[in-house]
Parts: sequence; C-alpha cells; structure tokens
Amino acid sequence: MSPEWMSDSPRPFSKVLVANRGEIAVRVIQASKEAGLSCVAVFSESDSSSLHVELADESVLLEGGTLEMTYLNGNAIIEAARSTGADAIHPGYGFLSERADFARAVESAGIRWIGPSAHAIETMGDKISARSLMIESGVPVIPGGQIPVEEGADHLGALASAAAKVGYPLLIKASAGGGGKGMRSVSVPKNLRGEFEAAAREASAAFGDGTVYIERLLNRARHVEIQVLCDSHGGAVHLNERDCSLQRRYQKVIEEAPSPAVTPGIREAMGVAAVTAARSVGYVGAGTVEFLLASNGEFYFLEMNTRIQVEHPVTEMTTGIDIVQKQFEVAAGLPLGISQQEVSQNGHSIEARVYAEDPSRGFLPSIGELVVWRPPSGPGIRVDSGVREGDSVTIEFDPMLAKLIVHAPDRQSAIRRLDNALSSFVVLGVRTNIDFLRNALTHDSFQSGSIDTDFLDSTDPSELRGPDPDRPTLVAVAASAQRLGMDRQHIAGTEAVDDHTGHQGDPFRTLGRTFP
Amino acid sequence: MEWSVPDEPERYKASLQEAEGTVSVTSLTRDGVEVHIHETSVEAEGRPGRAMVKVGRTTKLAHIARSGDTWWVHIDGRAHEVVFHEQGSRTSASEGSLKAPMPGTVLQVMAKEGQRVREGQHLMTLEAMKMEHKILAPKPGGITKVHFSEGDRVDMGSSLVEIGD
Repeated sequence: MSPEWMSDSPRPFSKVLVANRGEIAVRVIQASKEAGLSCVAVFSESDSSSLHVELADESVLLEGGTLEMTYLNGNAIIEAARSTGADAIHPGYGFLSERADFARAVESAGIRWIGPSAHAIETMGDKISARSLMIESGVPVIPGGQIPVEEGADHLGALASAAAKVGYPLLIKASAGGGGKGMRSVSVPKNLRGEFEAAAREASAAFGDGTVYIERLLNRARHVEIQVLCDSHGGAVHLNERDCSLQRRYQKVIEEAPSPAVTPGIREAMGVAAVTAARSVGYVGAGTVEFLLASNGEFYFLEMNTRIQVEHPVTEMTTGIDIVQKQFEVAAGLPLGISQQEVSQNGHSIEARVYAEDPSRGFLPSIGELVVWRPPSGPGIRVDSGVREGDSVTIEFDPMLAKLIVHAPDRQSAIRRLDNALSSFVVLGVRTNIDFLRNALTHDSFQSGSIDTDFLDSTDPSELRGPDPDRPTLVAVAASAQRLGMDRQHIAGTEAVDDHTGHQGDPFRTLGRTFP
Repeated sequence: MEWSVPDEPERYKASLQEAEGTVSVTSLTRDGVEVHIHETSVEAEGRPGRAMVKVGRTTKLAHIARSGDTWWVHIDGRAHEVVFHEQGSRTSASEGSLKAPMPGTVLQVMAKEGQRVREGQHLMTLEAMKMEHKILAPKPGGITKVHFSEGDRVDMGSSLVEIGD
C-alpha cells in the first residue's frame, strides 16, 4: 500500500528497488523508510553483508562476478523488481542512473522510474547534443567549439587543425563522459596526440564509447552548479548553487553551498539559466546544471547531470529540502509544492569526500579491512556512509567510503567544524585521504575562498602535506601497544588464542603483568 | 624486534618497561643510535582499540589497531602507521624494484631492458578502476628487468620493472 502522503497521487507506488550500493543506496533506503515506502536492495556476491543490504526490507542477489553481470545488469534488476513486487526503481548515481535505455526498459516493464525521461537523459548525456541545445536555448556555453572525433577514424589531421582553431590550452573530453574519466588537458600541440589517445582509450573503457571532443580550457575558473527540481506539471525551481571547485584531476573533493564567489546577481542569473536548461529538455525530477564561473563573473554551461549527485547534501543542509523525498514526490506525479521565493538559504554547508586512497602514492586506491571506523558526530555534523567497522575495502568498487557534511551559520565556522570533525574521524586499517582533506581545507587559498578548479593540481604537494609526525614517539606508542596485547582485545567477550602457547588467553596478562 | 614507519628507511628499537597494565618506553634507538624522546607510556583504556597515551606530561586518547605487521595509531587528529619487523629481516632484497601499487592491467610499456632512464621518466601505464596510472622511475639508472608486457594482469605488489645503477 502506498503511503498516506501519496493519497492525491495520480501514479502512486509503494515499494522502491534501489539499483545501487554503498552510501547512496543507504541514503535512498533510509529516505524510502522515512517516506513509508518498502524498499528492496540488490547486491553482488561480494556485497552480501554490506550495510545497504542489512538496512533494506528485502534484498535480491545479482549473480555474477563482474559489474556488467550485477549492478550494470538492467535485465536482472528489472527481474528483481518484478519478483519482489517493487513498483518503482531509484538508480542512485553512477551505474545505470544515466542509461536512457535502462530508464526506458523500466517504464515499459510498468515500473515507475525515479528519474528524468529517457529523452532527457539521452539529450543531456551526449555532450555534443546538450551543447547544441543550450546554444538554441540561449544558455551560455564555453567559447571555442566542439569537434566530435570518432574513434578508429583517421582523425589526427582533423584533430590538429581543430585544435589550432580552438586554441591552447584545451581540454579533450569524452562525449559520454563524467567523473574525470576520458578527460585530458593539453597545454602545447606536441602533447595533443598522446593525450588524445589516452582520453579515447579511457572513454572506451569507462563508457563503451571512445568519442571525444575538444574545448577551450578556461583558466582560473570555478566549478559552480545549480540544483534544479522539476515536476510533471510544469513546475520548476532551483535550489541555489554548490561550489565544487576543489577538484583533483576533475574529481570533486570538497563541495560547499553557498559559493564564496557567487553574488546574489550571479545566483539569480545562473538559476534562471539552469531552469531554462532543464525546461529545454522537458526535465522532470532532480538534476544538476554545471557551470564554469570565470573570474569576471561570466559563466558557461558545462553539462547537466540527470540524476541525484554525490554532493546533494550541502543543498539539503542549507535549504532544508530533502531532495530524495522530492524525487519520490515528483515520480508519484505530485506537484513540487514550493515556489522559487520559498527556497531559502540558511547558513553554510561543506562536504568532504572521504576516500580509501593514498595521497602519498599519487592517490591510488587503498585496500584493507576497516579495523577501526569511528565517524564523528555532533551538532551540524552529518555522515553519509555505506560502510561500517570490520568491512573490507576492495578495488572492486569506487573508493569513496563516506561523505562528511557539516552545517554552520557561516563559512568560517563551517570550515572549523569540518576540520574538527575530520580530526575525530578515526579510520584505521586502510589509508584514507582524511589528512589531505584537512590540509586542503585549512590551506589559505581555500580559507579565503579564492581557489579555482586547478588549485589542487597546480599547488606544490608540500603545501598540502600535514605536519611531520614525531616518528620516535609513534614507534614508542606502537611498541607499547604491542606489548600490552592491544591487537588481541578486539575479540569481544572471549580471550583470543595466544599466538605462542595456543592457549585461550595469556595467563600472565590475567595477573595484570607480563614478564619480558 | 624492530620498527619502522612507511617510506622511511630508519629502523627503531624500543626498550619497554611494564607496570600495572601500563607499558612505557625507557629508551629508543634509531639505526643503533640512541634517540631522546619524552617519556611515553601507554595504558589500555578498557575499551577495545582505545588507549591513554602519556607523552611527557600530557595524556591523550589514542585509537590503536593492528592489521598484519602494521600498527595504526590515531592520535592528535591524524592516523599514522608503524611497521613491525622480526629481528634482522630486511625490507626488500631489490631496492629500486617498482611494485604494482594496486591490481590492474598493463596498458603500455615504455621501459626496455638495458635502457637508461632519468628520475621521473614514464616507464609503464597501468589501468585500474578504469583510470590510467603512470609508473615513473623513482631514481635514475639502467633498466635491468621488465616483468610484464602490454595486456598482462598484475597483482598488487608484483614487481613491474627493476632499475639498477
């Protein structure tokens, strides 16, 4: 039975299948429960004891050893919805969230798709068609021009002359891209060929489509995006901006709302442009229009993400609007019920993405067991996470462990709150970027709000390194902890078997002392 | 037993003293030379993974855990690793061998056996997590061995390329 709040809905539903894993699956499952909806998780073999499975009312195993057989297997997911009687599917982000054919298959199976139409996904998903549509609709796009380059064709001559026309530095982007994959910057002509080939290879591997295009690279620009919400009755509002300028190799690291670079005038103009962009494809649901904001206040359309985004919480914290709940309402055919004037902006929110990666080794993903996992808590602190203590981190999935989001009255206090929360976020057993996040957050350029999207990639790594630890003291602590047998404590209730004697417990330790 | 911290060659030894559930370090050597530190003592806090650490006159809560030979210590808001070695063991016989930082697939091999390379020279490209990672020479030298060719799968820690002087 559908929940009470859906009683006026023309298209009610009652059971949501969440076609995702990790923190976003947990977020949507919790939102479903709060909305009075039943929820179904899907999972691969290696996720059988994951948090999202534990939290769902029901779960269905997707058999197979690859992503194509599991989280990217649209047919198996639709079958899982049928077998459990789920009448709606929420795709989260990543995986199948921006696959138009999947959206279409879900709808034709008679299941509600909690997302925009296949047409909107298709149009905005192809960067070249999106760009043409924006030009038609009067939304500003990056100067230069787009030159599609088909994989496999003899393209080097065409590429070089197109590049000369666009000018250097330029950016090579995968047409089907996102998340920094298949994206390369080229500063001088001699690097064009190598970077082009790398971009095309990455694009084919990540998206199954090696088509790339080139675009003028704007220097000293910020990444500012607008969250939009549209209903099926023609209602559309924007929920202000998020600033995601702190990026590493085009992957967002820290996001905030509001942007320190956005004036009320820019906010209004960008908001209008975002709503125009959404309306131009008949968008229904939650989406994000990304812009590059140049230092002179001019902004240009980058792309539209036709799904919920990783960084949606900073908008929720500052507007008080639950975006996942709004997705449910819109999918049920209900009107938004909020006007643009009713969208408020309260305080400042910052999100830091906690990754299992090693900043001292070029940010390579790290693996291991989360032997200790103690997220921070307190007023104005929110942790969206899909893992818990004891879970294993593998390279099978995205290395993001959690999002730490803070809310405070102003930007400076939000920075202090986030830094303090990061310092009490205890993760042992797997290397993370937590220290790096603290160092970036407290860097003068971030504090003063003056960074651009090149900041992390162009800053001397030594400026983003924390204080050198006192190594002898650490050795003293570790050696003492080993002598104390601290590694044997974690087996609750029972004493571990002693490594040397094979007996339960250590007879000397029970006497409160150990002989050397 | 000996101790080290990741990426640092020094080996430490600690002399420990115990009393009433507390262990303190009375003397510490680095590569055989005594180093002076503030007296440091650790007392199990009662709950797993937590300990009270006293350095000099200040006492702080630390989170401590072990995985394999690595001890993880979270103190003063930052996590650190300390590696435990059985007496006399050596880090690795092959200094200058480049290990795969993670499992993946070899995309490109630029390094050739017998070639001289400069520090930072691009030797190999690995693909993992659908991203490309460049393997760079950690020091100048001559390539003595290239263990993989394009398309090969590599496990984490596999030696990829060896560089001699």
